Amino acid sequence: MNMFTLAQKSLLNRKSTVLLTLLTIAVSVMLLLGVERIRTQAKASFANTISGTDLIVGARTGSTNLLLYSVFRIGHATHNVSWQSYENIKKHRAVKWAIPLSLGDSHKGFPVLGTTADYFKHYQFGKKQHLTFAQGHAFEKQFDIVLGAAIAKKLGYRLNDEIVVSHGAGNTSFHHHDEHPFTVVGILKPTGTPLDKTLHLPLSAIDTIHNTGHHAHHSHEHDSDLIGEPKQITAFLLGLKSRIAVLTLQRSINTDAKLTKNEALLAIIPGLTLRQLWEMLSMVEQVLLVISGFVVVSGLLGMLTSLLTSLNQRRRELAILRSLGARPWQIAMLLVSESVLLTATGCIIGIGLLYAVQLATAAQLQELSGLQLSLTWLTQHEMLLIAGVLLSGLLVGLIPAWRAYKYSLSDGMSIRV
Amino acid sequence: MISIKGLSFSWPKQKAILKINELEIKKGESIFLQGPSGSGKSTLLSLLAGINQPSSGTIKILNTNLSELSAGKRDKFRAEHIGYVFQMFNLLPYLSVIENVTLACEFSKKRKVKALQKSKTVIDEAKRLLDHLEIPEHLFDQSILNLSIGQQQRVASARALIGSPELLIADEPTSALDQASREAFIKLLFKECKSAGTTLLFVSHDETLKPLFERYVCLKTLNEAC
Repeated sequence: MNMFTLAQKSLLNRKSTVLLTLLTIAVSVMLLLGVERIRTQAKASFANTISGTDLIVGARTGSTNLLLYSVFRIGHATHNVSWQSYENIKKHRAVKWAIPLSLGDSHKGFPVLGTTADYFKHYQFGKKQHLTFAQGHAFEKQFDIVLGAAIAKKLGYRLNDEIVVSHGAGNTSFHHHDEHPFTVVGILKPTGTPLDKTLHLPLSAIDTIHNTGHHAHHSHEHDSDLIGEPKQITAFLLGLKSRIAVLTLQRSINTDAKLTKNEALLAIIPGLTLRQLWEMLSMVEQVLLVISGFVVVSGLLGMLTSLLTSLNQRRRELAILRSLGARPWQIAMLLVSESVLLTATGCIIGIGLLYAVQLATAAQLQELSGLQLSLTWLTQHEMLLIAGVLLSGLLVGLIPAWRAYKYSLSDGMSIRV
Repeated sequence: MISIKGLSFSWPKQKAILKINELEIKKGESIFLQGPSGSGKSTLLSLLAGINQPSSGTIKILNTNLSELSAGKRDKFRAEHIGYVFQMFNLLPYLSVIENVTLACEFSKKRKVKALQKSKTVIDEAKRLLDHLEIPEHLFDQSILNLSIGQQQRVASARALIGSPELLIADEPTSALDQASREAFIKLLFKECKSAGTTLLFVSHDETLKPLFERYVCLKTLNEAC
């Protein structure tokens, strides 16, 4: 029986306090790993929101603002882009495809996006993944609508359901476009991006629903075509023939008055702006990390408290061990072994808890934040974090060990209780 | 066995609390060292166990001068040659009766080897001793919390005796026992010390125990600082 097994038996003898200590450590380890997981996966899913698009063009504003409203559906554009400019730039020889985006309407609080059928062909997310349909197909007629995965699930819509779209963003829009029910013709597969919460309808329909009254009658006559050009759109996405042209075209759009007919436009490279935006958020990221670090520290402090408290009651035990010939350093080892055992067991329980919580809340998390946490085995980064916790546990254990060492030197074999 | 010459001990910057000119204890003796509290009993015991160092003079146990050993060597010396029984609460609460007894062999290879000369395994030797000390067999694997105080003291004696150390120091081992079990305990202790060839140094303030022992030493008269 070495000091390690002795430590084990000693801990088992103090079950209730040991269990509480274990729980504190386990919960703190779970939080640390959980926050880390959310942080890294949020970062990854954030960076994966849009890909394969070379430039996003909108009215002149801040570049993050343009990214936020065109991709994340956060905030709204203060100005629009004229259809003329869109047509001009689309004709530029470097441009392979262009997709107009028209935002500003909503359905039960979810954003409505007016666009062309090309959107489903060219839009990419993640690692250059194209949009795919879980059911149905892209819109073909004026009053067709395609739903993001989350909306269909949340609002319980199925193919061929009829939907009414309101003007303006927000849930409590007073002005409903009751005259124009749309028919669900397609439901997209989940992407883990804001797209899951978006309703897609033909660009031509957007303009029609804003002109209520006499246009309504008019549009029904042209039920089957998607012809019709709006005067303005919110922004548009560009795919270029060659990536080499990206910077040149970006500069032209931003500065060349001839190309834009004097309209103040802004072109951004999505990947670059995404990174800038994330850097703005990195403060939050750091704070999260620091907080979860402190949670672990408080867990270990809890362990320290319980070890130190018990130590005073265990001075007799130390004297007995001394009388049997245990050296002071062996007694110190006993205490270090106890804290290492506690921390290691706490880590194992914490990892177990993490997976349990992740399994239990995966569905809600995805629904609430669009974040899909994959049940992967521990990454190298997480292993390092756990190693860090273990090391801290060992270091914390040195404190009661040192105290026990001093006790065993000063008390010797005389028992002071 | 034990040879003390010109011994004195004092805490730093205080006057001596223990002064013993000479004390010789022969191998195999059972000595009753009697002294009221304050006569320097625990100081003498801590010096004999090698926890503290004399300020002057020498203590030799088995012809080894304890002052010449390093702290670690003194711990090892204690583990190998001295069994120790406290007044009470001798046992670790988280170990079973058997585990408490065999624990002594964990800190000394020599005692383990000696135990193995008597029985096949250390556990068998522990069982043999416990049996001799009249601990019922059904208690061997139980928690020490199920034992009476008298039983606990006998288990502690088994631990002090396993691996036949040359010296057994018992510090007021019977003060928590009633008169009848006191004598029974001491007689058992005698028997086991005899069969193991262990020298017994029995310390107590209780003069009534005096007639049971071969030799009697009064610490109050021995200690010149008292």
